[in-house]
Amino acid sequence: METSQSLFGSPAPHILVVDDDRDIRDLLAKFLERHGLRVTAVRDAREARRALPHGHFQLIVLDVMMPGESGLDFARWLRSPASGHAQIGLIMLTAMGEETDRIIGLELGADDYLPKPFNPRELLARLRAVLRRAVEQPKMAGENHSRMLRFGGWTLEPARRRLLNPDDVEVPVTGGEYDLLIALVERANKVLTRDMLLDLLRGRQAGPFDRAIDVAISRLRRKLEDNGRQAQLIKTVRGGGYVLAAEVEKM
Amino acid sequence: MKLIPSSLATRTALTMLGALMLVQAIGLTVHALDRVELQRLAQTRDIGVRAMGLYRSVVLTPSEQRVQVLQNLEHSDGTEVAISNAPPNDALPPTAFEVRRPIVLSTQFVPVPQADRQRELVMLGGPEARMLVIGMRMPDDRWLNMHLPMPPPRIWQSQHFIGAFLLMSLASALVTLWAVRRLTAPVRTLARAAEALGRDVNAPPLSEEGPSEITVAAIAFNTMAGRIRRFVQDRTFMLTAIGHDLRTPITRLKLRTEFIEDEDMRRKLLADIDELSAMVNATLAFGRDVAIEEPVGIVDLAELVRTVLDEESDWWPEVAEKLVFVGPAHFPYRGRPVALKRAVTNLVRNAVLYGGSAEATLSVEPNLVRLTVEDRGPGIPPDELERVFQPFYRMEASRNKETGGNGLGLPITRNIARAHGGDVVLSNRQGGGARATVTLPL
Repeated sequence: METSQSLFGSPAPHILVVDDDRDIRDLLAKFLERHGLRVTAVRDAREARRALPHGHFQLIVLDVMMPGESGLDFARWLRSPASGHAQIGLIMLTAMGEETDRIIGLELGADDYLPKPFNPRELLARLRAVLRRAVEQPKMAGENHSRMLRFGGWTLEPARRRLLNPDDVEVPVTGGEYDLLIALVERANKVLTRDMLLDLLRGRQAGPFDRAIDVAISRLRRKLEDNGRQAQLIKTVRGGGYVLAAEVEKM
Repeated sequence: MKLIPSSLATRTALTMLGALMLVQAIGLTVHALDRVELQRLAQTRDIGVRAMGLYRSVVLTPSEQRVQVLQNLEHSDGTEVAISNAPPNDALPPTAFEVRRPIVLSTQFVPVPQADRQRELVMLGGPEARMLVIGMRMPDDRWLNMHLPMPPPRIWQSQHFIGAFLLMSLASALVTLWAVRRLTAPVRTLARAAEALGRDVNAPPLSEEGPSEITVAAIAFNTMAGRIRRFVQDRTFMLTAIGHDLRTPITRLKLRTEFIEDEDMRRKLLADIDELSAMVNATLAFGRDVAIEEPVGIVDLAELVRTVLDEESDWWPEVAEKLVFVGPAHFPYRGRPVALKRAVTNLVRNAVLYGGSAEATLSVEPNLVRLTVEDRGPGIPPDELERVFQPFYRMEASRNKETGGNGLGLPITRNIARAHGGDVVLSNRQGGGARATVTLPL
């Protein structure tokens, strides 16, 4: 898998990896550097705090379970205006199956999470998505992380990665479908090209990617009760792309 | 029909009721014997008065008319009166003093002129003979001999007797039933608590109040529940610890695969590590009882099943055509979405792995919702249908590497179904293939 540096623009984004395991730190740094990122790796929250002012970091990969100050506490501090770095992207590495850690992490303002052990390429895909989002819609300083996104009667809950219908009934979605939907919702009324969507699904879906997009879109339409032929919510754009046609309300 | 009732309450009630009725019968008998005494007294008095009355009638009549008078007297109860020259000569023993005395006493209630009083009184027989013979020598030395029947006292004649017996029986039956129900209530409470403990280890403890025996039993039960809870907690803790410790090396392994040049080798290695981490995941999920930690919410069950089928067809595009859903378009259900999805995924994955297809049918019945997942594979030997729900048990067919499996899918699924108050069972469908049936209460 070869990724050009130009994908992120120049110079390459700077990533701060916070993990207490030395091998994981080194391997992760090496892996991310091979994919065109600059990496600084530190072992705990204290070192991370010290590294922050000097690195111009775009994103932090943060392990939740660390000795000393926990990842959750660090995330809370990071997102507070006091840190001065509230706009930095944040991906949390949570313990397997620790629902509460994950939910708290996302509520604290993590942009994404991955359960440990994660697949490196999936981490890369998530990382790219967060970086791209940051470029497209820079966070306002002190902007609160939205807990709910409402569109056309439907609700997305990023912290729990779930979709609720207008009656507040959870409608299950696959991981890929969720990523696709959140991408569309966050860029409502903007056309997303297939290439952009492909990138989102990479690392998640098996099989040919381009077909996967169409399949995922048609499943999403079914779930959103959006008639495929005359779709009102997720519209197909001539020339290859999709757009979510709805006003999005952040709560 | 069973002769001995099965319920402890009924048995105790019947025993106590029997005993009470026996006591009543004895009490009533004592009462009846008292009545006999009384009846006897009344009888003797009656006989004395009658005898003297007859004597008076006869003795006050002029001698020549006496036979005539006797003939005119009618005796309905078998009394015989005759005038004779001799005292009665019946072969009967002399009357016992206790009988004789009241009779003699009662004769004095009938006024007879002094001159006409009997000169001699002979008394034979008594209650035992059912006949009393009284001979009275009149002033003219002739005897008036009377045979007076003494019918046995009628003990059971009183109409109050049966009524009293029934009323007392009924009253004691009611009291007995109430008392027995009260007494056996703790047994029922204990049974309920044991059942609740079976379903949920963290069920609230029994109240340790009441009679001392009950308190002892409740304390013993709570101690046992505590031990079980600790055992489960220890198990969970151990599994979680193992899982956490394994996270780091598995993460390292996954990262290291990225530096293997041989792409084919890298993929294979990664697949092995994925399998390893899936096993750790399943062990952890089993240990921590996923279903209990997750909050309850309303989830579209129909869409959940379809989503699972979609995910599986993404994993195995070659069987995508054979993954079918039959059921309503939507069905909101109150449950734990992540746990339910995991349960359905396990069943669908089994169907795909062992049967190469999966037909999921969701049907809603009055009080429950039923999900069946059927495949067209070889099915399951009948004696394995229940055993496959044991943790880490794997059928011979699944031990090989081809299908993998860690022996936890079905136990986890069952835990989840039971945590929702339902269950999951396996059966073989007609025409070949296995069928998993999940029932969830509405």
